[in-house]
Amino acid sequence: MDALIPFTTSGSLVDLVDKKVMVILRDGRKLLGVFRSYDQFANFLLESCVERLHYKLEYADTDLGVLLIRGENVVALGEIDLIAEDRVPLIPRPLDEIRTKINEENRRKERDHLIKSKVLETVGFVSDGREGDAY
Amino acid sequence: MLPLSLLNAAQGKPMLVELKNGVTFNGHLVDCDQFMNVTLREVYQTSADGERFWKMPEMFIKGNIIKYFRIADSILDQAMAEQEKQRAAGRQRGGGRGGGRGGARGGGEGGRGGGRGGPPGRGGPPMRGAANGRGGGPGRGGPPGGGGGRGGRGAPRQ
Repeated sequence: MDALIPFTTSGSLVDLVDKKVMVILRDGRKLLGVFRSYDQFANFLLESCVERLHYKLEYADTDLGVLLIRGENVVALGEIDLIAEDRVPLIPRPLDEIRTKINEENRRKERDHLIKSKVLETVGFVSDGREGDAY
Repeated sequence: MLPLSLLNAAQGKPMLVELKNGVTFNGHLVDCDQFMNVTLREVYQTSADGERFWKMPEMFIKGNIIKYFRIADSILDQAMAEQEKQRAAGRQRGGGRGGGRGGARGGGEGGRGGGRGGPPGRGGPPMRGAANGRGGGPGRGGPPGGGGGRGGRGAPRQ
């Protein structure tokens, strides 16, 4: 039956309707929610949506409720396997704790990047564009 | 229910709009169009870092700089119920013309149905199905599309 559905956006997304999905946005946010509907621009409607912050194997969720996402900002959409989800060794932690850890890591990365680009500059390389700049 | 239909249905309701640059606007939706351009009333603007606020009586946001809308749960529920009611009314007038509009590719008027006879189980995307146990949406499944008269898509609703 799958073979009968042409591989178009609408063809490939019908199967995800009413499933739990993760949407990744261009700003790096990861949103989890129930995929309620979409249109030809890949505008999405998510219900019971949460934003998930990850730090290594720890995570924290923030409730967002119903979210209407403009298609332009979407990088990826994927179904979440509810059975496999239980086996993933992710540990829920308080939001503040995760935020602090992420901020620390960002500061660390920022510092490393600065040092690295200074060294590279001395040998004639320019290093603009970094991790996460892909989209 | 398509994303933009929900936006239409949310006119007059409070919502949060985040722009691509992270700035957010809290206000009541006055109007919106097919491009997602919106006007808001009684708006609180928050800077991207969340540290500065402004209040303004009315504003217009061009659709293409929007990242997302946050809408109250109740508005979605209400809009779904409303849509359901209108569809029921339409069915009565149309004399049992199947599931009516399916959604993103929802079949047109009856005439188009003939050739499709599609596989069962595809009502069209924007239905909130029974999978979640929420108010019986129109069935996503159903027998293969019938003859011309019925529109050929979408199951008769349970």
